Amino acid sequence: MTEYLIRRILQSVLVLFLISILTFLMIHAAPGGPTQIFLAPGLSPEAAQIQAHNLGLDRPVPVQYAVWLGNLMQGDLGHTFKNHIPVGDILWPTVKNTMVLMGAAWLFSLLIAVPWGIYNSTSEYGLSDQTASFVSYIGFAMPTFWFGIILQEYFSLKLDWLPLSDMYTMGKEGNLGDLFMHLILPVSVLTLGFLAAYSKYSRASMLEVLSQDYIRTARAKGLKERRVIFRHALRNALIPIITILGLDLPILVSGAALTERVFNWPGMGRLFVDMAVAREYSVLMSITLVVSVIVVLGNLIADILYAIVDPRVQLGSKGGSST
Amino acid sequence: MRKVPKWFSSISVIALVGVMLAGCGGNNANNAETTNNKPANTATNETTNTNTTNDTTNDAATTPDPNAPVDGGTLTIGTFSDIVSVNPIYINDTSSGDIENLINAKLYDLDRQGNLIVEPWSIAAELPQISADGKTYTVKIKSTAKWNDGQPLTADDVIFTYNTVRNPDAGAPGISTVDKVEAINKIDETTIEFKLKQVYAPFQYSLYSSVVPSHILKDVPVKDLKTNAYGVDPAKTVTSGPWKFSEWKQGQYITLEQNPNYWGEKKPHIGKIIYKIYADQNTEVQALIKGDIQMSEAIPVTQIEGVKANDKLQVILEPGPLYEYVQFNFKDENFPDKYSPFKGQKTRQAIAYALNRQGMVDNVLKGTGKLMNSPFLPGSWADPGDQAVNYQYDAEKAKALLAEDGWKPGKDGILEKDGHRFSFELQYNAGNSRREQVAAVIQQNLKDVGIEVTPKGIDFATWIDQNITPGKFPAILLSWSLSNPDPDAESIFSSKYFPPTGQNGGWYKNEAIDALWTKGQLTIDQAERAKVYQEIGKEISIDLPYVFLYQYGLPQVVDASKVKWAEEDAPESSLGYGYLYHAINWWVTE
Repeated sequence: MTEYLIRRILQSVLVLFLISILTFLMIHAAPGGPTQIFLAPGLSPEAAQIQAHNLGLDRPVPVQYAVWLGNLMQGDLGHTFKNHIPVGDILWPTVKNTMVLMGAAWLFSLLIAVPWGIYNSTSEYGLSDQTASFVSYIGFAMPTFWFGIILQEYFSLKLDWLPLSDMYTMGKEGNLGDLFMHLILPVSVLTLGFLAAYSKYSRASMLEVLSQDYIRTARAKGLKERRVIFRHALRNALIPIITILGLDLPILVSGAALTERVFNWPGMGRLFVDMAVAREYSVLMSITLVVSVIVVLGNLIADILYAIVDPRVQLGSKGGSST
Repeated sequence: MRKVPKWFSSISVIALVGVMLAGCGGNNANNAETTNNKPANTATNETTNTNTTNDTTNDAATTPDPNAPVDGGTLTIGTFSDIVSVNPIYINDTSSGDIENLINAKLYDLDRQGNLIVEPWSIAAELPQISADGKTYTVKIKSTAKWNDGQPLTADDVIFTYNTVRNPDAGAPGISTVDKVEAINKIDETTIEFKLKQVYAPFQYSLYSSVVPSHILKDVPVKDLKTNAYGVDPAKTVTSGPWKFSEWKQGQYITLEQNPNYWGEKKPHIGKIIYKIYADQNTEVQALIKGDIQMSEAIPVTQIEGVKANDKLQVILEPGPLYEYVQFNFKDENFPDKYSPFKGQKTRQAIAYALNRQGMVDNVLKGTGKLMNSPFLPGSWADPGDQAVNYQYDAEKAKALLAEDGWKPGKDGILEKDGHRFSFELQYNAGNSRREQVAAVIQQNLKDVGIEVTPKGIDFATWIDQNITPGKFPAILLSWSLSNPDPDAESIFSSKYFPPTGQNGGWYKNEAIDALWTKGQLTIDQAERAKVYQEIGKEISIDLPYVFLYQYGLPQVVDASKVKWAEEDAPESSLGYGYLYHAINWWVTE
């Protein structure tokens, strides 16, 4: 297990390194560098040259990459070009804000979707199952931003029950009750999106397990249905769900750009779009890096959870041994 | 898609000149604080008046005057992009300019026609004295002016500011506005003398500018100024205006509070100003309706109707200091067949006749624009008015002119001349929905007269880098901002300013007009100068390096139930940052 973990972590570091090179090259290959954006049009070419030199933008791309990597090793994510603000000052608050929003939405939707999916697998095509299908279709088909606007119109403007946008009311930063009120609408929008997928997955996975021979055996032994479901079927049915959750982990930080935009949530999705337009290389690199780390981590966590839930999977040995 | 910030959609040389130089000026010095001599009905708008009708009772002695300014309160303004830095030397975007304007006093201010004036809140004590040879400007400043840390604002600060902008190591965008300056001398603590290398009339507007504190910045090496915390860290940003920079939550909001050391004789009424950043303009409009914010400088034209339906919201539709144009390229190598179809004057005039500009104003701009026929702002002192040719939409006349210029219909109906099809690409910045729609109208209008247009949206940064700056494009749809009221536009129309150093990216050359731009710079007397620009307006509208389309703006919305001003302090859309014109005299009610 330990050996496996070390191997996986080393692999991950290599992957992250390659991703960073690739991203760096791609960002720099895009035409129209930061000088075009933040230097004034009409600034004489000499003056523009001086500025580019001061910012190190006139050096070859590999040199710029080496400098960036060197700084990163010392924990320095760099500064923005246009106003020399440390990237961390901009990045970490948005990472935190996005995690609050996405975490709440994710948790909330799991709490609803998984039990609901499981219940529906036991009463296939019943009223609850049909409702779930209907909700799924809506969740898949309705553009999230549009749903968001509808909720804002009704619950904020018309009824005036909930705040329209933002994370906190001005002057109430850090107030949990205020945060909760602000979370309700965006979390509802995001939950509808997640709900569709997760309830379908849980239902399908459960149905597959319930059709297995050992379940029939269990039932034949005269076990109570409750015991069959929770004791025998559930653990196996959770395996594919865990995979999906692990792979979905990156959305916790990458954010939902559209939802964040509609609800004016100060998160990563918005930041990424703004920074891409402004060609802020250091911020873009840092965002890519953070998201990549989470992707790699998510995969790793999914694998480890696998081993815990599924005794057939043994990490580190070549080919799982089945009992 | 995300609406691009204002600066993105309207880069400009002229705006550049106005970078440090934009702000709230005024035309009336003797207004406001004394409420008793002001009739009760001078308040601004319908909403206010209807709200107050039942207050016109005879017990005025006991009821407070509802139109009297109230001190304190918070004005929350919605905006769509974050600031970069509020250091006036580096301001290059609208959001930073908004804040900079409120926290800094300016040397001089502007009246509604764009004339340089001295206001109670200007740093200067009197208008500049210009020497007989036109090369020396003497500026006297008020001895009362102070920084918000209590230090006096003196001639040293003014000299430090201008010398920094002049220094290429500083990388200040305003450098071109002071490149005619030879020396700046301190006569005494309150008198500064600017010596110019040559007579240069536009220099007067270089004095419409904020000042930075030399006692804070003089020891910073010039090349490090751009990365200095001044302008980014509120605690280190010492300024001289009615409000001060007190908090910046990146990507979310900026807070300004009253400057306790404000030196002006007239103090601001509004206690606190918050700039709240909205990523989505629809959300911003909803926030206006809900009352989360009391003003938006600009909402999309598509939202006008919805906002008008709300009684408390007042929409200001007057266009701003911006104009849109179609620019032709005269250089053959910028076309696939190495032939510029735009070289004939009659051809260009035909295109002007073929375009339904009024239709664009009515349908795309929803009435928030006015036709432009020359590069000078309508209503400003340099406006040539009727002297400039107004091309009325007339497809038949366009066809006749094209035929006169030798264009004949080819097999597919598209005009041809000397074996070249009249077909070109019209570029604009992708994501700008106004330009997308206008480009489609142009495509249709020109198709009607036998010209094939291919509209092409390009990412803004890419476009500037590869097409605009090097002058490599067939034709573009873009706009200029005229936030500096000086009419001089030599650097975009004269053949002295070809790329890469100049901004005449269409490679247009007309020696008669070149000479007129120079004459305009050499004429100090404003009435004489205005005649030169009338002449330019006439010539340029005949020769058409551009088709001037329209002056436009984005509608400003104000919650009139909360934000109040006296009539003479109303916003002035035609000036840069004019949506906050005289904000020092505004007040808010709860």
